[in-house]
Amino acid sequence: MAWYEIFFNGKALAVLGAAVAVIFAGMGSARGVGMVGEAAAGVVTEDPDKFGQTLLLQALPGTQGIYGLLTAFIILTKIGVIGGADVGEISIEKGMLLLASALPIAIVGYQSAICQARAAVAGINIVAKRPEELAKGITYAAMVETYAVLALLASILAVTGIQL
Amino acid sequence: MAIVDMNKISIIGLQKNKEEMITSLMKMGVVEVSDFIPDDQWSELVTKDETESDVATLEADLMRIKSSIEYLSKYNSQKRGLFAPKKEISTQEYNEIIQNREHIWNIVDQIAHYDEQLMQLLSEENRLNNLIATFEPWKPLTVPFDVENTKNTTVLLGVLPAIADVEKMKQNLEENVPESYVEIINADKEQNYIFLIYVNSLENEVMTLLKQYGFAKVSFNDFHGTAQENINKARQEIEKIKEKRKEILEHISVFAGEKEKLEVLYDYLLIQKDRKEAIGRLAHTNNVFVLNGWVPRELSEKVEKTILQKYDCIVEIKRPEEGEEFPVLLRNHPLVEPFELITEMYSLPKSTEVDPNAAMAPFYFMFFGLMLGDAGYGLIMTIVTAIILKKYKTEGLMNKLLKLGCLCGISTFFWGAMFGGWFGDFPSRIGITNDKIVNGIWFNPVNDPMKLLIWSFVFGAIHLFVGMGMQGYNLIRKGKIWDAVFDVGLWYVFLIGLVLFGVGKGVLNDIGKYMSIAGAVGLILTQGRSKEGIIKKLFSGVLSLYNTTAFFSDVMSYSRILALGLATGVIGTVINTMGSLFGTNVIGIIIFVIVFIGGHIFNLAINVLGSYVHSSRLQYVEFFGKFYEGGGKAFQPLKIKTKYINLKNEEDV
Repeated sequence: MAWYEIFFNGKALAVLGAAVAVIFAGMGSARGVGMVGEAAAGVVTEDPDKFGQTLLLQALPGTQGIYGLLTAFIILTKIGVIGGADVGEISIEKGMLLLASALPIAIVGYQSAICQARAAVAGINIVAKRPEELAKGITYAAMVETYAVLALLASILAVTGIQL
Repeated sequence: MAIVDMNKISIIGLQKNKEEMITSLMKMGVVEVSDFIPDDQWSELVTKDETESDVATLEADLMRIKSSIEYLSKYNSQKRGLFAPKKEISTQEYNEIIQNREHIWNIVDQIAHYDEQLMQLLSEENRLNNLIATFEPWKPLTVPFDVENTKNTTVLLGVLPAIADVEKMKQNLEENVPESYVEIINADKEQNYIFLIYVNSLENEVMTLLKQYGFAKVSFNDFHGTAQENINKARQEIEKIKEKRKEILEHISVFAGEKEKLEVLYDYLLIQKDRKEAIGRLAHTNNVFVLNGWVPRELSEKVEKTILQKYDCIVEIKRPEEGEEFPVLLRNHPLVEPFELITEMYSLPKSTEVDPNAAMAPFYFMFFGLMLGDAGYGLIMTIVTAIILKKYKTEGLMNKLLKLGCLCGISTFFWGAMFGGWFGDFPSRIGITNDKIVNGIWFNPVNDPMKLLIWSFVFGAIHLFVGMGMQGYNLIRKGKIWDAVFDVGLWYVFLIGLVLFGVGKGVLNDIGKYMSIAGAVGLILTQGRSKEGIIKKLFSGVLSLYNTTAFFSDVMSYSRILALGLATGVIGTVINTMGSLFGTNVIGIIIFVIVFIGGHIFNLAINVLGSYVHSSRLQYVEFFGKFYEGGGKAFQPLKIKTKYINLKNEEDV
């Protein structure tokens, strides 16, 4: 085995894809959840009773990270790293395909988590002034999530569609 | 029969009966009192009651009692559960407590007094803590702060910034002004702390030299003894404060048993406040008052009779004029009722609109279940909410929410069983191989996501068609039958035709082709009918076909059903995988149980939130967008609203 084949083989590329999905989607979610948490803490200093409401909003940008994990899990299962399915040798081409199919949720997940967090922070402002309108704040933030869901869907369909 | 019909009610009664009549209306709890806005005819005759200042006073009183109650709830050992009902109390007990309210006010005053003392103690404690923090760096200095200057020398404390080179400064000083003594007491991240003695006559030289290093004087002239002694003293005082606080809190805790009485008084004042507010909406002359309001149609007669029996007054009840908006009260089938919550969060329907709840509820029920899609989670949701509903008498919002959870749990259970989700892939972990359980009664979306995707689109298209149908129904109700045919009927023909043409085979394909062509032609001919001139009409007709893309992008939005459904299942599987990493020995099984419980609770929580948010969104954006306006005002009858207690023996209507 030539030395570069250690890095550049089908399985490594597929695992890289799984890693990319978790890393970027997770980074986006971590940043997003952090942003909303900061805003929420500000509101809760004034009114501790709003903890539950603000927590709902904070949880919203967290889903992208979960979508990333989900994609990673499907990829890892497919190539037999999890679950031990025997899939034999994975060609570089197939590995590259799996890596590419992780990109939608990785990139859109990162960006949408942050955009969603902005909408959620605005939702926190709604909760601060008019707690009864929480649902509207949640809906605004959830509109952003649509695109993370679509990206996840594209990733899942691509991964399940690739024939090893 | 979803929006309850209302009648207008006007009452003209005697001033002397006013308070009493408002109280009876409150007890009936079915009449909304609207603000009396005098028109030209009335404005010369009547004046409005000014009750704002009374209301403000009552509000201030309520605030005071509330803060006392909060103090006491810390000591009251009986914890009120989240779902605990309000305390039942008989009228007799209630009256007794209210008659002795001087006694309760006394308690409130005392608690307020103690509260003030506690605040003072807190600020004193803060001051002492700051003092300790200030002395802390000077601890190594054994010279007392109050060592006085002698005739010829000055004793001085001071600080240098952390970046200053103190050793060099010390050297410098010893070389240039040997008649001085400097000692570095301490150093931290911010500052160096120094002690200094110098001969008075050389003050200028010493100061010039020190200034170069950024020296600043520190003065503790008011304190006696060394830093350590001062710190000890402050600590002792803090101890004393703590004891005092404990004493005061004990004083307060004596009243813990009286908390219920405070709560009764609170609710009493709350009722007073509501009554005053209602009176503020009336208008009166010297001898009579006039009240305008709304009452549900089916109760009008009963209310009229009850009032006429009790008081000398005139009651007039009439139907609202055509198109006049009235306050909205919803009444739906008990199974639909919990879903009102979702619509209310969007907006109440206008009184002139159709209540969308009955059409929306089945879809919400189904989509929630599809998105959560795990039979185990569904069981937990239903069982937990059912137990709470059975055990506690919940009211209002909480009651609806629990019922919603219970219903959605059933749907979740159903779809979970269809798709083979039982706490993720738990059955196959424990060796169950039955295909109907492992892979679901219908099919397993993890193995065949495309199939569920297509079904999601089918469900979505049905949902959208129902939405369009509601729009048609609205138009027909307004008498615009042709609009309904053109704007809804033709779209049905066109879109169904397109779908058949796209996926149908053989005859269906042909039918689809002709349907879509017929629909398209119809749309081109009718959609521009409000425009002038044949060209403009045709042009907007053709342009309207572009809305097809809007329809299909709406359908795409339902792909979230698949994504969220998969998310629940796959994360559940991840949790099971993590749990089973340690094998099947005793420790492995213990770890599995822990990971299983914690992990699935987390997964359940995060996915219930997701399913709630996304099924709501499908209603708000895709479904309501087709036909629903909203913006109605809720019916808020004057009634006895309490926070802590429930009065028995009320006059019911």
